[in-house]
Amino acid sequence: MMYLLTGGSGSGKSAYGEKKICSFGDCNRIYIATMENKDGESQKRVERHRKLRRGLGFTTIEQGKQIKSLQIPRGSVVLLECMSNLLANEMYGEGGAGERAVQEILEGIFRLNDMAAELVVVTNEVFSDLPVDREMGRYLKCLGEINAAIAREAAEVVELVYGIPVWIKGLKK
Amino acid sequence: MILIIGGANQGKKDYAIEKFSVSQWLDGGTCSKEEVFRAKGICHFELLVERLLQEQTDLRKFTEEVLKINPDIIIITNELGCGLVPVDAFARRYREEHGRICTYLASQAKEVHRVMCGIGKVIKG
Repeated sequence: MMYLLTGGSGSGKSAYGEKKICSFGDCNRIYIATMENKDGESQKRVERHRKLRRGLGFTTIEQGKQIKSLQIPRGSVVLLECMSNLLANEMYGEGGAGERAVQEILEGIFRLNDMAAELVVVTNEVFSDLPVDREMGRYLKCLGEINAAIAREAAEVVELVYGIPVWIKGLKK
Repeated sequence: MILIIGGANQGKKDYAIEKFSVSQWLDGGTCSKEEVFRAKGICHFELLVERLLQEQTDLRKFTEEVLKINPDIIIITNELGCGLVPVDAFARRYREEHGRICTYLASQAKEVHRVMCGIGKVIKG
């Protein structure tokens, strides 16, 4: 099954995602990290996330593009973080999918979901702002399209609001 | 403590005035730190966060002290961070730190209300 987590900056998406993964019990845990080109600031963010995950037994796969090419053991529980980076890499990164970004990403996600027992996708709530320019508008449209396509297939869609889960789809257990 | 969040200009303060009958509010953009320890309510907490970050006050420590000394305070803050990542480094830090401190506040709050189009929804409590 697939789960989509969204929320603004610093809203506790990662912590909730890890909690969600752990709630599936003792399984093979895989973390797919999509961030590329880490400068000092991103590096700090990565360290923070690593510290959060420490001791939870995750195998980390760094995959900034082409998640379609990933092979994971069947029955794994997978946390993918995050969609906004993955999309930016595919749209603008060297060797990225460019115009085909949305399609390639969705195929990759659905393929992962077929292999995994559970797939938790972290995305970003970045839509309540003025697009700075046309290109930004195009990026937002693509991210919105991806989020909606995943949400359609997801068992649950949860927005994290300052650490509080607000259910958009699916019922709170 | 009660936390009231929501986007800009959504009627958070009017909602809070009606709901909690508090008429005097500190403004986070102009108040002193000391006033926060005595206030019944503070609005624009996000602007206080911005000022504290600028003067390099330990945000978490200050907030913990406020909750210890003034545990019944009502805090209204703008729900930042649902837009694109800002180009400016301080703005990026500000929205992320604001998110983290609000996550802490939400964890400590008796109630969290989220106001949209003037309508408040209780998301905790």
